[in-house]
Amino acid sequence: MGAMDAPVSLAPEDPPLGEQDKRTSFEAATLPHLPAVYNLARWLTRNDQDAEDVVQEAYLRAFRFFDNFRGGDARPWLLAIVRNTCLTWLKRNRQDRPTSPLDSALNIVAADTPEPDEQLVQAANRRMVQQALNELPEEFREVVVLREMEGLAYKEIAAITDSAIGTVMSRLARGRKLLRDKLVDRQTDGS
Amino acid sequence: MHDLLNAYFDNELPEADRAAFEQHLTECPECTLELEAQTEVRVALQDEKLRYQPPPNLAARIKSSLPQVDWRPVPWRRAIVWMAAASILIGIGLTATGLGLILRAPSREDRLAQETMANHTRALQANHLLDIASTNQHKVKPWFQGKLDFAPPVENLAEQGYPLDGGRLDYVDGHNAAALVYHRRDHVINLFIWPASSADAPIRTTAGRGYNIAFWCKGGLNLWAVSDLNIDELREFAQKVQEATP
Repeated sequence: MGAMDAPVSLAPEDPPLGEQDKRTSFEAATLPHLPAVYNLARWLTRNDQDAEDVVQEAYLRAFRFFDNFRGGDARPWLLAIVRNTCLTWLKRNRQDRPTSPLDSALNIVAADTPEPDEQLVQAANRRMVQQALNELPEEFREVVVLREMEGLAYKEIAAITDSAIGTVMSRLARGRKLLRDKLVDRQTDGS
Repeated sequence: MHDLLNAYFDNELPEADRAAFEQHLTECPECTLELEAQTEVRVALQDEKLRYQPPPNLAARIKSSLPQVDWRPVPWRRAIVWMAAASILIGIGLTATGLGLILRAPSREDRLAQETMANHTRALQANHLLDIASTNQHKVKPWFQGKLDFAPPVENLAEQGYPLDGGRLDYVDGHNAAALVYHRRDHVINLFIWPASSADAPIRTTAGRGYNIAFWCKGGLNLWAVSDLNIDELREFAQKVQEATP
């Protein structure tokens, strides 16, 4: 009877090999793309904390669907998942989420070290671009980020945003136009 | 025209169209200016410093949140072999039923402990604790109707010191489960409830990975409470739930 009372072992142990293999190959295929995934999530949610949570949720979803992933470049596949997670998230939380202070993640350097004038000007320009892009409506913001920052082809952007190539083209054209108008406005305001 | 210019700018035009557009550029200063302006914006957007960098601990958070499905404690088998050998040595004859109990009962509890702890952690980390946020048991209980094939007992234990925060759907042991969320001070308690095929069983406790667990079986339901609350208060919580439910 003594054996029956043996304490239940709860120390985390190595999972069985098949499961371990799946996790290892999942992590190897997806974690290198974390910077791209996070960047998109952060631009879409416009908030540090939300971006982190969304990215974590997206990776969980991706892990669940990983059996369906047919290999190749995991980046567009992951970006599609994080983009959908973002949209669901935004729908759920839109009312009460403040956006992070605009310069939160970008100007840490500027605050810490004294900079020559030229770098200050660059930082100011960067802030202006950041603000203008943040103000773009979501459907334009996402295509601009995917095209200009991630360098994706129209075909990939169409797959990620679940839209036709023609839609991608016109949104990109419109997004760029809006962005430029905003930048021109700011520049005229500033001088 | 605008789309064409953008497609050219993005290097997405087929060769023939590309040549035609370049021809057009030589005679259209408007388009040429437009391209220059676009290039300027592109250079600004491709500034590496405009990218947001993931916080340094995010990859670790992701790794630790991945589900540990099909987890089976390998050392148990070793322990069983050892125990079986020991029991033979000291001359205790184990009946086949007894052996069956040893093989099955602890590993099931072990697995459920792992599973409920993983669910608890995931709900906290993924910031998805509540599908319905309400301290009102009369709102939370009906919310589960039609979502589960059983009716979980829902009681607000605020007076007993364990206020109800709400509930969500979860999945334990191959069943849809109700997860009721309570708290004590700033400790979150997840109470998982799903149908049991076994008879009523008294409250027992276990622990692992910094969490305590109290579990019992009542009225055809499994009830597992997981929290980082100390074990005495978690046991008290379990007793209060048990007392409050018929």
